[in-house]
Amino acid sequence: MNDLRIPIGGFFTLVGAILAVTGVASGGRARLESANINLYYGVALLVFGCVMLWLARHRS
Amino acid sequence: MLDSPGVTLGAVDYLILAIYFALVLFIGWALKRKVATSADFLTSGRSVPLWITSLAFLAANLGAQEVIGMCASGAKYGFMTAHFYWVGAVPAMLFVGVFMMPFYYGSRARSVPEYLKLRFDEKTRALNAVTFAVMTVFSSGISMYALGLLFELVLHWSFTASVLLSAVIVLVYTFLGGLTSAIYNEVLQFFLIVLGFAPLAVMAVMKAGGWSGMAARMPAVMTHTWSYAGSASENPMGIEAFGLIAGLGFVLSFGYWCTDFLVVQRAMAAESMSGARRTPLIAAFPKMIMPFIVIVPGVAAVALSHMPLGYAIPHKAGGGLDYDQTLTTLMAQFYPSGMLGLGLTALMASFMSGMAGNVTAFNTVWTYDLYQGHIRKNEPDDHYLQVGRITTVVGVALSVAVAYLVTAFNNLNDFLQLVFSFVNAPLFATFLLGMFWKRATGHGAFTGLLAGTAAAAATHGLTVAEHKGGWLGAVLHTFPSTMAQNFWIAICAWSACFVVTILVSLASRPKPDSDLHNLVYGLTEIPHDKLARWFERPVPVAVVLIGVLLLLNWWFW
Repeated sequence: MNDLRIPIGGFFTLVGAILAVTGVASGGRARLESANINLYYGVALLVFGCVMLWLARHRS
Repeated sequence: MLDSPGVTLGAVDYLILAIYFALVLFIGWALKRKVATSADFLTSGRSVPLWITSLAFLAANLGAQEVIGMCASGAKYGFMTAHFYWVGAVPAMLFVGVFMMPFYYGSRARSVPEYLKLRFDEKTRALNAVTFAVMTVFSSGISMYALGLLFELVLHWSFTASVLLSAVIVLVYTFLGGLTSAIYNEVLQFFLIVLGFAPLAVMAVMKAGGWSGMAARMPAVMTHTWSYAGSASENPMGIEAFGLIAGLGFVLSFGYWCTDFLVVQRAMAAESMSGARRTPLIAAFPKMIMPFIVIVPGVAAVALSHMPLGYAIPHKAGGGLDYDQTLTTLMAQFYPSGMLGLGLTALMASFMSGMAGNVTAFNTVWTYDLYQGHIRKNEPDDHYLQVGRITTVVGVALSVAVAYLVTAFNNLNDFLQLVFSFVNAPLFATFLLGMFWKRATGHGAFTGLLAGTAAAAATHGLTVAEHKGGWLGAVLHTFPSTMAQNFWIAICAWSACFVVTILVSLASRPKPDSDLHNLVYGLTEIPHDKLARWFERPVPVAVVLIGVLLLLNWWFW
């Protein structure tokens, strides 16, 4: 493993996907928050993870 | 510590936690191949890229006490807690990068105690190595204790199960990949903390009506940093500006960030002098932002508890608020199953990498400074690699033992400050004189350190704050809070060490200049990388840093 961005990117891509799927499937609301945060934040983490992976691929 | 609402985890939360465990073990396993010598294992062979050393430098300190303790302090003392970052950590990180790293890195020492041996003598190193080793194991144990207690309280996991599970995982990945493995996992932990807790801060503040809504729901002292620091009686920390700047800002923070091997070790793993110097500077940028992620939720919690939302900071069994539960109770309120798994994983990661950081620093100091320095001097490198590996096991086992020994304190943060002030406060005087005054001698440094620690103990013994201290019989002064007491202990310890080191140095024979190359200012060539672009040089980066820091202090005045 030469580039730490790969496991970090992979981890957040996976976790982001899991959260997004959870958000779509159950919508899971918290007591004080009505927004579907699992879905929104899952997508955000997914994007972050993909950016990390992309950076690792295109390193100079 | 009763009446905790508790948190119920779903399958998805356990899945995220399990993925994290698998990943840290994978990182350890993947790095195993890179470990061939004791230097690879204990010092990463000085080959880690800048962005990784920087984030690890920051994350090594971002352990459980930091995250939970800072959120607790936010709820207890308000946004004044940000002083730990904006007065404390950041200026000290700047100083170690610009002024001290040339000597640490340039001396080729493998550890902070080894620098003391090169600069002063063997006894000064031994003193520092032994106190550091004991303190490191102690903080690692406290960290585990806190983890076990919290997870028992909030998740109803058994104390023993969470302590042993985290210990075994840390043991496996540090045993396999050594310091590099610990550093890589610290970087992962950094992202987890930021990404896992930032949404909590945002949601809690929004729910409380934004910053102005929060400020309207509590005393003004809770949302300002300096406005109420004029006198000790005006603010809940019970400290005035001088004690704050001298005690926390100068002595404690410089003592920690500039001399504690746990953090300095991360910078020393950098691949070049320029990288080593810029490591603390680059780390200082995210460090400045951390108050918004770890302290603000605590402040917001106070506002939320004053609103008709059914939220309250839990009480302790003996009465009084259990501030250490602020973070987890907020998570339970704002995170649905899924996000909860992410937040919990971030917490677990900070506990584990805090422990790993301690274990890897303990490792190096034991193997190079105590074992190689005093027990077996001239063995082949392979022998020290084996010793390093065995020490990893011993270090983790000792931490577990300490975890079972520690008894409860009302605020982890206050307690840590006390430990730091006894051991670290005099240290900074020693390093300051050692690096910038070539006349300072080994005898001076050694007696100065002893005098400083004695002064710290005496100050604690002769003063009282919140029923703590005063064990020497006479009580000369009563402080309004233990935090103020800790800051003043540090100031006394530092001054005693500084004065005694100078006096004894002047009375003893100095080291010849020829023995001090690359160790002292004036006899060390500081690299002038004028050809590098501005952001690749330490000083311009430091100037930008100071600008942003002043802006933040002014903004939240």
